[in-house]
Amino acid sequence: MRLLPSRRSDLIGFGVLIVVLAVFPLLAPPSWVNVGVYALIYAIAAIGLTLLMGLAGQVSLGQASFFAIGAYTQAILVTRYDWSGITAAVVAVVLASLAAFVLGLALLRLRGHYLALGTLGLGIIITVLATESEFTGGTSGIFGIPKPEFNNRTYNSPSEYFWLLVPVVVIGLLVARNIVSSRIGRALGAVNDSEVAAETLGVDTFRLRLQVFTLSAAYAGVAGVFFAHWLAVVNPNAANFPLSVKFLLISVLGGLGTVWGAVIGAFLVEFLDESMSTFIPQVIPGATGEVELLGFGVVLVLLVILLPGGLHQAWQLAVGRIVGRGGGADEAAAAPTARPDPDDSPLFARAGRSEPGSTLLEVRGLTKHFGGVVAVDDIDLEVRTGQILALIGPNGAGKTTCFNMVSGVLTPTSGTVRLAGKRIDGRKPHTFARARATRTFQNLQVFGSMTVLGNVMVGRFLRSRAAMLRGALYFPARAEEAQIARSAYDVVEMVGLGAEARRQATDLPFGRQRLMEVARALATEPDLLLLDEPMAGLSRTERRELALLLRRLRAGGMAIVLVEHDVEAVLALADQVAVLDDGRLIALGTPDEIRNDPAVVAAYLGVDEDDSEAAEAVREMTGGSGGQS
Amino acid sequence: MTDFLQLAFAGLSVGAVYALIGIGFVAIFTVSEVINLAQGEFAALSGLIAISAVASGLPLPVAVLVAVASVAVVALLMERLTIAPVKRMTTLTSIILTLGVSTALKAVMLIVWGPNSQGLEAFPGENVTVLGVSIRSQELWILGITAVVAVAVIWFYEQTGWGKALKACAEQPTAARLVGISLARASMLSFLIAGVTGAIAGVAASPVYFTSWDSGLAIGLKGFVAATLGGLVSVRGAVLGGLALGVLESLVAGYVDTGLRDAVAFVVLVVVLVVRPSGVFTRQAVARV
Amino acid sequence: MLEVTQLRAGYGRLPVLHGLDLAVAEGEIVAVIGANGAGKTTLLRTLSGLLRATGGRVLLDGRPIHALPAEKVAAAGLAHVPENRLVFPSLSVQDNLRLGGWTRRRASSAGAATRGRVLELFPRLSDRLEQAAGTLSGGEQQMLAVGRGIMARPSVLMLDEPSVGLAPRVVAEIMQALARLRDEEGLTILLVEQNARAAFKIADRVYLMDRGRVVLQGTPHELLGDDRVKHAYLGGGYEADETPDEGQDAPQRETP
Repeated sequence: MRLLPSRRSDLIGFGVLIVVLAVFPLLAPPSWVNVGVYALIYAIAAIGLTLLMGLAGQVSLGQASFFAIGAYTQAILVTRYDWSGITAAVVAVVLASLAAFVLGLALLRLRGHYLALGTLGLGIIITVLATESEFTGGTSGIFGIPKPEFNNRTYNSPSEYFWLLVPVVVIGLLVARNIVSSRIGRALGAVNDSEVAAETLGVDTFRLRLQVFTLSAAYAGVAGVFFAHWLAVVNPNAANFPLSVKFLLISVLGGLGTVWGAVIGAFLVEFLDESMSTFIPQVIPGATGEVELLGFGVVLVLLVILLPGGLHQAWQLAVGRIVGRGGGADEAAAAPTARPDPDDSPLFARAGRSEPGSTLLEVRGLTKHFGGVVAVDDIDLEVRTGQILALIGPNGAGKTTCFNMVSGVLTPTSGTVRLAGKRIDGRKPHTFARARATRTFQNLQVFGSMTVLGNVMVGRFLRSRAAMLRGALYFPARAEEAQIARSAYDVVEMVGLGAEARRQATDLPFGRQRLMEVARALATEPDLLLLDEPMAGLSRTERRELALLLRRLRAGGMAIVLVEHDVEAVLALADQVAVLDDGRLIALGTPDEIRNDPAVVAAYLGVDEDDSEAAEAVREMTGGSGGQS
Repeated sequence: MTDFLQLAFAGLSVGAVYALIGIGFVAIFTVSEVINLAQGEFAALSGLIAISAVASGLPLPVAVLVAVASVAVVALLMERLTIAPVKRMTTLTSIILTLGVSTALKAVMLIVWGPNSQGLEAFPGENVTVLGVSIRSQELWILGITAVVAVAVIWFYEQTGWGKALKACAEQPTAARLVGISLARASMLSFLIAGVTGAIAGVAASPVYFTSWDSGLAIGLKGFVAATLGGLVSVRGAVLGGLALGVLESLVAGYVDTGLRDAVAFVVLVVVLVVRPSGVFTRQAVARV
Repeated sequence: MLEVTQLRAGYGRLPVLHGLDLAVAEGEIVAVIGANGAGKTTLLRTLSGLLRATGGRVLLDGRPIHALPAEKVAAAGLAHVPENRLVFPSLSVQDNLRLGGWTRRRASSAGAATRGRVLELFPRLSDRLEQAAGTLSGGEQQMLAVGRGIMARPSVLMLDEPSVGLAPRVVAEIMQALARLRDEEGLTILLVEQNARAAFKIADRVYLMDRGRVVLQGTPHELLGDDRVKHAYLGGGYEADETPDEGQDAPQRETP
């Protein structure tokens, strides 16, 4: 389950939630309001955790660590150094974020387990440090933290504190929601669907994940600040593992599909907690917190197996059907514009592009070994601006492996790759993208959770700028979003998918999904485009149209490398043809030269060159023209 | 010098326990890429069951057997009821699932055995003094048992049919199926191994380190660090990692500050992951494109 | 020996096989050829149980296997040598072969004899018995994968593009081995190939697949002269007025 831009049913739920929160203290008995305060405090931390899990796909088992850092910092600064509540709060949140930043730097490049256990370990460390250190008051902690005071009004009672928290929670929800719908949110959603494809479109996965992790800790820090003031005491229990588990349970129970799930989950968990601790001792003498713990465990397991989307999933099943699917952010933003004059598109002429005919991509001695298998053996290639190079050869010849090395998906065993003179071999795919180059994939890497338009909008990632904080604010982000959607739509139209722009990408036939990948790649406005079998699954007319588009792009100065099995199409389109067989470059020349090269024919049919009977059959089969697939 | 040896030896002993837990992590991870957050609880549960069994009159060896067998069953049930039903297992899902089981087990232990730490009766034997270092007989037992278990597990993976089949499942699940290996059985077997090794760790450790409903958390985390030192895929690595971690912990606690003991594992984890990522990047999921 | 009737299968919402009929008699080598995207790999994956059939029937020696999972299909006697070989890289050649005989591991004496046979067919492997399979060359890995399939002593051996990425000489070696298995032991073989020429050399009958259906069948000689075979390989095989809604193969294959 993941965070996706809100649907209509979600917005309704949101509205209902805010209303309920506003009237809650008026209608509920005081003991309930007291529980409600805890619920809201924990909800803030859980919203951060939902962002981390639902958007960045990472698990933290130590959200309480950042909660505690926030709480302790606030407590110490206010009680010991007499700082004002607000200034202290800022420092507290910054410290919590910093701790996450440092930890994330170390652990986020790795598989998810490490962050999970690393944060678990952090929780243990913080508990140990807090217990051992006198500065933090040892086991008793810091006490005497005053209630907050604004405008000569002390927020003392549960109702007052509750109302103080409501706007904080609402702002927290709005910020989170905006981020999910923003460019960053879309990029992270793309990473969840296909990390490699997102990277080749310029998304620096590590950096984005680090940002989200830091933000989630900031949320925990804010929660910790309010916790300190409410409880008036902060002790090492604030960082303990059971609390981190509780945050996790709140997020998962509420549902990772929406940010407000954290609030619902928090209320549910706190009320359950409360009622169980009053109820259970009456039923099972002597038992208190343990049973609640058992309940948590069982609930977690059942949730994941039966209702992985949490309560949000239940809500969607119930209400979503009635209200209809509605759209995501990309739907709202883009109204189809009149088709612009294609010649104006920045794809066809970009100021700042290298001189036509100059070398853009230079590959020297490119080699790749997989264990004992030599997949690519010492390949030299050059691609110029305004040129189409076709890479052909039988299956297993090494064509896709070459693409993978050039685009940064694989590191070469040896050899160099230079783009506009700069070495890029061994760098990550988003570096390739930033150098104005991109690619499509032979094994489709479609962003399955998005529409066609949504996919192409991810392609605009590098051509837009809103960073996470900006994305959090509604109005500045909105304008850029509309712009992104418009330019994406133009590209969608250009490849001929305009009619299907709103359809789920996975609903399209595979051939047209390939076309969508091409559009997505074009949306990055590249100077160099690598296309891996873009024509597979397209009808003859569609192939003709795509070939036409490629010709126009070439005329505008784009350099294109094409892997294709449709030999006829390739020979008609390419300026240069490179033939690979068994990892080696066996021929390089113009289409005519290649067509008549016996070595090429032999490669495709797999015969020895001196097998005359076979050569005869080859001529029969191919009718004299070049290789066959 | 005697101090150093004393500390080092104590470290080896506790490190051996970490090693056994680490083996359990490796066993499950290699087959299904699941990190079993309940691994520590296997050890705690086994210790507590053995204590009760002895208290109800069973002789120690039988009690140990009962404990190990029970935990093995629990591990199998865990696999069948929580892991097998999930169609698409992601990191997030596996963590939450195993965390849920871990929490539930903890609660059961708390309800049945209460909050206090308890210790199993020590295995037969005399304490000895070597080179001025006093060694408890149980510590010798721990080291001996760990050595035997480690050798047995390594022998299993490298010399037996099912051991190689498990490796095959981990490396090429599709080809393993085509050859007729049941992935479900492989998963169950991996959990069985994890349950047994965890349980053995629990009973061996209990006389010295005491067992309680939440002693699984710390031991689980440290076992995980031990497994990480072996790249999460090497039994040998987990064993060496556990021993090294134990010794380091002991030395830090002795020479620097006892309170920092638990922090060592975490620091080691982060340092290893930052400095030697290649050992840990073994299952890099590069999409075949 | 292997009878496929009206087989349907696909990925998610997109069907790939549209009612395919095919039969392999005992002791024959049947080749299935077709362009990229015709559904050949999907066919083998459905037959071996990796992919669930959505319709139709598969009989192996009279026994229905279309509803069985892959492990049971293997136990029933259908061995699938997969695309990209998929050897177990850290295990030795010896162990790879041993695991090939997994479904017959109880009859250990016959296993030794079969291994001897495999090493006789592929002498290069006997030099490398203790070597880790991941360090073998592409051709050797393919031989190992084929050998692993033979170790199951199957009723039918299916191979998915064994010639991919291999030098012609190596391809010839493998094809010869397959022919010998048919001639000397009467093994039934279903061979999917891109390399039509190599397949034609040893096949008794050939099926041409296009977009999830069989469009042509006959002896290699009959097919060589047929225009449709040519079309299937050149130019992608789509006519101008065709809609691409039916039968695209999922892009499962890797061309490294």
